[in-house]
Amino acid sequence: MAEVVLKDVVKNYGAMFAVNNVSFTVADGEFVALVGPSGCGKTTTLNLIAGLIPMSGGDIHIGDRLVNDLDPKDRDIAMVFQNYALYPNKTVFNNLAFPLQMRKLPRAEIDKKVQSAAKVLDITHLLERKPRELSGGQQQRVALGRALVRDPRAFLMDEPLSNLDAKLRVQMRSELKRFHQDLHATVVYVTHDQLEAVTMADKMAVMNGGFLQQYDTPANVFANPINTFVASFVGSPAMSLIPLEVASNGTQTVLQSSEGWELPLSPINARKALAASTKKVVLGARHSTLKLAKSAVPGSVPGKVYTVEPTGDITFAQVFISGAVVNISLEPSVAIRPDEMVFVEFDQERIHLFDGETTMALTL
Amino acid sequence: MTTQALDRPAPRKPIDWWRWAGRVFLTFLLIFTVLPMVWMVLTSIKSQFAALQYPPQWWPAEPTLQNYWRLLDPSNSVGQEFLRYFWNSFYVSLLTTVIGVVVAVPAAYAFSRFRFPGRTFLFFTVLLRNMFPAVVFLMPLFLLMRWLGLVNTHGSLILTYLTFGLPLSIWLLKGFYDNIPIQLEQAARIDGATRFQAFLYIVMPLSTPGIIATSIFSFIGAWNEYVYAYTFLSKQDSMTLPVGIQRFFTEFATDWPGLMAATFMMSVPVVVLFLVLQKYFVRALTEGAVKS
Amino acid sequence: MSIATGQGTAVLAPTLKSKRVGPLQRIYNHRADYLYVLPALLVMLIVIAYPVYYTIELSFFKTPPNLQMKDKVFVGLDNYATILSSSSFREVTMNTLIWTVFSTLFAFLIGLAAALALHREFIGRGVLRALLLIPYVVSAVAASYVWKWLYHSDFGVIGALAVQFGLTDKPINFLDNLHTVLPSLIVVNVWKEFSFAMIMLMAGLQTVPEQLLRAAQVDGANAWQRFWHVTFPHLKSVSMVTVLLLMVSNFNSFIIPWVMTGGGPAGASDIWITQIYNIAFGRQRYGVAAAYSVILFIVMMTLGYFYVKALTRGDESRAG
Repeated sequence: MAEVVLKDVVKNYGAMFAVNNVSFTVADGEFVALVGPSGCGKTTTLNLIAGLIPMSGGDIHIGDRLVNDLDPKDRDIAMVFQNYALYPNKTVFNNLAFPLQMRKLPRAEIDKKVQSAAKVLDITHLLERKPRELSGGQQQRVALGRALVRDPRAFLMDEPLSNLDAKLRVQMRSELKRFHQDLHATVVYVTHDQLEAVTMADKMAVMNGGFLQQYDTPANVFANPINTFVASFVGSPAMSLIPLEVASNGTQTVLQSSEGWELPLSPINARKALAASTKKVVLGARHSTLKLAKSAVPGSVPGKVYTVEPTGDITFAQVFISGAVVNISLEPSVAIRPDEMVFVEFDQERIHLFDGETTMALTL
Repeated sequence: MTTQALDRPAPRKPIDWWRWAGRVFLTFLLIFTVLPMVWMVLTSIKSQFAALQYPPQWWPAEPTLQNYWRLLDPSNSVGQEFLRYFWNSFYVSLLTTVIGVVVAVPAAYAFSRFRFPGRTFLFFTVLLRNMFPAVVFLMPLFLLMRWLGLVNTHGSLILTYLTFGLPLSIWLLKGFYDNIPIQLEQAARIDGATRFQAFLYIVMPLSTPGIIATSIFSFIGAWNEYVYAYTFLSKQDSMTLPVGIQRFFTEFATDWPGLMAATFMMSVPVVVLFLVLQKYFVRALTEGAVKS
Repeated sequence: MSIATGQGTAVLAPTLKSKRVGPLQRIYNHRADYLYVLPALLVMLIVIAYPVYYTIELSFFKTPPNLQMKDKVFVGLDNYATILSSSSFREVTMNTLIWTVFSTLFAFLIGLAAALALHREFIGRGVLRALLLIPYVVSAVAASYVWKWLYHSDFGVIGALAVQFGLTDKPINFLDNLHTVLPSLIVVNVWKEFSFAMIMLMAGLQTVPEQLLRAAQVDGANAWQRFWHVTFPHLKSVSMVTVLLLMVSNFNSFIIPWVMTGGGPAGASDIWITQIYNIAFGRQRYGVAAAYSVILFIVMMTLGYFYVKALTRGDESRAG
């Protein structure tokens, strides 16, 4: 296994920049998830690493080699595709054998390696079948097997679980994680599902509009989102964001709503808010840090209940505050009804402030 | 409609007029389509004397296969010529098909997969060939063939047939390649194949139906071609069927039963080819024009 | 404008670096791709580009009848003037229009009706479809001979049937009559190509979503309304392509009129193509024929423009 290094990688089609100056390093044995909404450039980035499309600029290293001009076959990587890309006219055995045949391994060795990969993935009984005779989960395993059968420097995976049904996806997710731990494999994993990224990856690279937004451990991305995009993308339900304006009521710095109310800020938060480029500030809070009150308490703001969704152990409420929808998690015992007027209490220690103009997190 | 429904308490299935109209229509259409072919066959098993009667013998009084024997017997001059034409047609059509596929496959693949500058322009230039009638190309091509020394050779026909076969072949094959997921090739290239190996080992086997469909089309097209063969070939022994049969049945008074037998024989290969590979033929015909 | 967060790296939107490439550079980058199309392009170039160029060139010259083209004389637009002022041009153009429009119209309508009737599954549908397709597959030469025999003035089966059913008292001379010859040829043409329209439209019908038809039925639409509001709109683009292809092929058809009547009697079934052939290879006036061809090119290019437009709908969106 080897590390994968991207430096100032650019891919453009004319004036359209699919990937724009993206740099990050995947350490040897690390599991990195590339996440972002569709069209954010994550799959393009993966294809650039694989060498399936030519780069417009920048450098990519795999291990100690600069691979910019290498063909995919010479990069010594393995890839799992979203639709599995199993060769429909070949049996499972021949699908697994193909990468080895291309490398001109002796027949006996091919046989041995295919058998052992099939054993690991528990698909030995399927070896003589054609891909179309397999279920989605089985196809997924074969695709994984084709990547496993040789010893590549890195695994690239393009949404490998997204074609599976929900239950199977959860099961395969843990299998993939286990597989990564056992092999100490370097994995670059593309997904649009932030939950997959958070649960499986050592680090996640959040992309949007061709730009790398933030590259960090899932915990850090969750705790300190760099901008409103990352804040609203990571976490389920996402962080609630309320656009407000910073103001002073003589003694205190406050956030002011167009609805008339004011939220006083703690001294630290006040300094952050005043550092914004304009008066516009976005207040962010995760559902678990918010409290609901039936009447006004200090540090709370008024809102109107929109929907209440019981999920069993937690009930989620959506509350309109200053025109924004705010998610709050509640004990199932709390009784509220849609259209009820409520007060939402913010924890000054755990709120996030973003510059309303640049969307960047405000920090000290 | 509504009053009718109210009158009848137990809803009975109403007569589906549309369905009946469809059946009647199809019956007439079938008669229209098949009758000329039936009459061709009936005439071909009559003697010249029996064919030229009024009112006609609706069913041959003395059916005979004599017209067919004459065409297939290499010991008489008619049979010799007919078999030679037949062989010429077969040989020209086969070569056209093989060369056409060999040239069209890489081109279609490139048009389907690559995004090189000028791709769209080139593609539609190729397609526009279909818009031009054979006749307007006749004269310049005739001069060209004379310059190349190909007049009265089958080379002139093959080269010409390629030009109307190729655009269609490229268009058809492109449709098939478009339907093969690009990820298969990407997977192959990651698995260690070169671009060409990926094409050879993965894409080619998958595009076999497309190649069959394309081959049928270009074979039938070449087999049936008339205008160029009529103009480029003047020597008896190099003629193809469509031109040849005309020659030898209009020299004297038309031998209609003989002509019908020859026409039947000429149609057999394409009809058989069509019936056996109907599925591919239909797919090829509609490829590209219908997008789901 | 970078703000550090925790221990992680924060990568912010940098300004766009211009990485634009010139067209020559792009062609160079794709040089290998052209190798795939090269053989095809070469053939096309020799046998299409050259003839087209040559035809346009010739159209401005008076040519000797012996095909010794070095003796040709530049005459400007004379050839065009000859054609447009000739007495037969109007008649031949009229014939061409009647031939093209009616052949296309009937082939399309019959094809549409057949496609609708065949859309529903029934026993023998496959066989029926195959039978109906045979005329499209056999050569036009064969079709022409068969129909010439059917239309025969003395022993033709159609004439005999007409007498048998009491429609006329003696056989009609279909192909030697100024008024019946063109319609008779159109019948042959429609016989030969209606199944093309049928197949195209059958394929088109398969793209009509079953759910939409059910929804319309639930909404109370009768069979006709379902066809008009659901089925037909889905057939629009296939119909466009089909009609255009039929028009092009009818405009260009040569074999049926040539083999059956040679344009006769008295030019009553002469269309542009047979006329061009006659001028070139009968009267050996290649320059005039070339000019005629150029006029035809222009008409074809117009049709071709619509053809490409109808085809590309959706093709570009797939390119990615």
